[in-house]
Amino acid sequence: MGGVDRRSFLKRAGAAGALGGAALLGSRDIVSAQSMHDHMGHGGHGTVGTVDHVRNGFNPMELLTEFDEGEVSRDLSGRTVREYEFVTVNKDIEVAPGVFFPAWTYNGRVPGPTIRATEGDRLRIKLVNATEHPHSMHFHGFHIAGMDGVPGAGEVMPGESFVYEFDAEPFGTHLYHCHSLPLKQHIHRGLYGGFIVDPKKGRPDANEMVMVMNAFDTNFDGVNEVYAVNTIAFAYVNEPIPIRAGELQRAHVINITEFDPLNSIHLHANFFNLFRTGTSLTPHEFTDTISMGQAERHMIEFTYKDPGRFMFHAHQTEFVELGWMSFFEVS
Amino acid sequence: MVARVARLPNWVAAVLPALLIAALVFGFVKLDPIGSLREVPPVEAIAFERTVLTEGHISLHVRNDGPDPVTIAQVMIDDAYWNHEIGDRTLGRLESTSIDADYPWAAGNPLSIGLVTSTGIVIQHNIEVASLSPSLDGSTLGIYALLGLYIGVIPIAVGLLWFPALRRASQKWLTFFLAFTVGLLVFLLVDTVSEGLDIANQTAAALNGLGVFFIGALLAVSGLAWLSSALDAQRKVTSGLLLAYLIASGIGLHNLGEGLAVGAALTSGEVALGTFLVVGFALHNTTEGLAIVAPLGAEEERPGLRHFVALGAIAGLPTILGAWAGGFAFSPVWGSFAFGIAAGAIAQVIWAISRSMRERAGSGAAVLGFCVGLVAMYATGLLA
Repeated sequence: MGGVDRRSFLKRAGAAGALGGAALLGSRDIVSAQSMHDHMGHGGHGTVGTVDHVRNGFNPMELLTEFDEGEVSRDLSGRTVREYEFVTVNKDIEVAPGVFFPAWTYNGRVPGPTIRATEGDRLRIKLVNATEHPHSMHFHGFHIAGMDGVPGAGEVMPGESFVYEFDAEPFGTHLYHCHSLPLKQHIHRGLYGGFIVDPKKGRPDANEMVMVMNAFDTNFDGVNEVYAVNTIAFAYVNEPIPIRAGELQRAHVINITEFDPLNSIHLHANFFNLFRTGTSLTPHEFTDTISMGQAERHMIEFTYKDPGRFMFHAHQTEFVELGWMSFFEVS
Repeated sequence: MVARVARLPNWVAAVLPALLIAALVFGFVKLDPIGSLREVPPVEAIAFERTVLTEGHISLHVRNDGPDPVTIAQVMIDDAYWNHEIGDRTLGRLESTSIDADYPWAAGNPLSIGLVTSTGIVIQHNIEVASLSPSLDGSTLGIYALLGLYIGVIPIAVGLLWFPALRRASQKWLTFFLAFTVGLLVFLLVDTVSEGLDIANQTAAALNGLGVFFIGALLAVSGLAWLSSALDAQRKVTSGLLLAYLIASGIGLHNLGEGLAVGAALTSGEVALGTFLVVGFALHNTTEGLAIVAPLGAEEERPGLRHFVALGAIAGLPTILGAWAGGFAFSPVWGSFAFGIAAGAIAQVIWAISRSMRERAGSGAAVLGFCVGLVAMYATGLLA
C-alpha cells in the first residue's frame, strides 16, 4: 500500500462510500453488458452533416463512373492516340462533413481523373505543375526509363511541365501516382488516380465503376483519421450507389491507402469474380472478401439477384467506422 | 512639458494614461503589426469540462480554451465517427457547448472521445474506466450525503470526544496536542496545495486555474485574518474557543475540497473500488476532531455543548456539500478556487495556532507533537 497517494486514496474512498451507500439504500443499478446491447439501435456510427461536393469541385457519385478517354486522334499508322493535360494544384477538400484536408491534387480532385485507354493506344499525358513543390506522374505499366515519373526522370519542377509518352500496356486495372519525395507525403496528400487499360478484344458489357480506396491523415500524425472509397467518408452510405438487379457489375478496386499495410473490400450477401490486377480475361478466384497492399488493385465482377440495400466495406472494421462503409441500392 | 502636464485638471491627468493605453491597444488590433508572425495554422484547443455517462448515452460539456475559434466538425467515439447532437459547432474563445451521443459504452472498459475539428485536428479525451454517472435524484443525493457523513462528519464528531481527556491533561500534554494539530494541518496544507494545483492543471488554459487557486488562497488568508481580529476585538469568545473555531473552519474548507474531489471522481468514472478505504478515511479524519478540541484543553470554563455541535458541523458538513457540488456541478475552475480557499484557510489557521503557542514552540513536547501530527496523518493515510 506504500504507493497510494492521497488523491487516488480519495477516489477509492469515494467509490467505497458510494458502494456502501448503495448497499444501504439498495437502489443503485449496476449497468450490465446486456442492458448496453439494448441501446445498439439508437445512434450509430457515421458522420453528421453533409459534404459540399460543389465546393469540393467533384462528386463521389460521379467519380465512380467517370472515365477520361482523353483527346482522341490517330497517328500516321492509324493507331489511336490519346492526349491528356493534367495540372497539379493545392486545394483544401472536405473529406468528411466539416473536416477539411489540405490536399495536393491532379486537376483539383482526389483521386485524379481515371485514365481509360485500350491496349496498344499511344498515350501523351502533359503534366503542368502549378504548385510550389516538385511533382510527377508515375504510371504502373510499361514505359521507357525516361518516362518513369520519378526524381531524375520526368519529375516536374514548380511552374514547369512535362509530357509522358508511352503505349497503354499491359491491359488491366492500374494506377498512377506522384513519385516525388518525400514519397508518403506526396501520395497521402492525394496525388493518385486510376489507369484502366482495356484488352483489345474488349470485355462483356457491364456497369463499370472505379473505387479508389484511400485515407487521410488529417492531423498529420502518421495515422489516418478518415477512410473512404473515392475520398469522402461514408459517401455511399449517405447516397447509396444505384445499380440494377441482374446486371453485371464491374468494379476496378484500387488501394492507395497510406500508413496502413492493408485495406480490403467485402461485399454483403454476394460473391464476386476476382481478376487480379485485371490482367486476365478469366477470373482467378470466386470470393466475397479480398485484401490488398498499397498499389494492389483488382477487377471484380458480380451480379445482385434481388433488389435491396446491400453493404460493402473494408473488412478492417476500424476503417469501416472511420468512413470506409458503403451501400448498393439494388433495384 | 512637465509644467504643462502639471497645469491639467486633476481628472484629466488621471484619465489620460487610460485613454493612451486604450488608443494603443486599438491601434495594435487595427494595424496588426505582428500579423506576419501568425501565418501558421490556428491553435485549436478544447477543454473537456464535464462528461456524464448514462445508460447507452454520453453527454459532454466542452470549452474552447485556445486563442482561436474552433469548429467541431465530427465526433469520434472509440475511434469511430459517431452520430451526435451538438449545440454550437463553432466556438469562439472561452465559449462552451454540449455534445450528446447515443453510444453503447461498456462499464469497466476505457472510453475515448475525439473531437475532429474543421482543420482535421483530433482533440482526445480518455476515460480510464467507464462507469455510470450518478443521476441527480434523491437516492444519489442520499448516497453522497451518506458518504460525506462517513468520511467527514462522523470521524470528526468522534474526534471531538477526546475533549474530556484533554481537560485532565497536563500543560505539557496540551502543548503536545496543539503542536500535533499544527503538524496535522501542515500535512493537510501540502495535500490541499498539491490537489489544488492538480485541478488547476485540468482547468481550461485560458481561464488560468493557477491564478484562480492563488486568488482563492489569498482571499481565505485575508478573510480569516480579518474575521479573527474582529472577533478578538469584540472579546465575545475566549482565545481558546476562537482558535478552535478557526481550526474547524480551516478543516471544514479542506473537507469541502475533499468532498468536491470525491464527488467529481465518482461522477467522472475515475474511481476504483474498496469499502475498507472508507474505514481508513474515517481513522484519518478522526484526528481532525482531536485537532479542533486541542486548544480547548486549557480553557478555564468548559464550553457549552452547542459549541461542540457547531465545531463539528463547521468542520464536517462541508464534506457533504462538497460531494454534492463535485458530483453534479463540478468544473475545474471552481475546483481550483475551492482548493485555493482551503489552502489559504489552513495556512492562516496554522499561523494563528503557532502564534498562540509562541513561547512553547521550542519545547520537546511541541516538537514531538508536531512530528507525531505529521506522521499520524501519513500513517492513517497508508492504513487504508
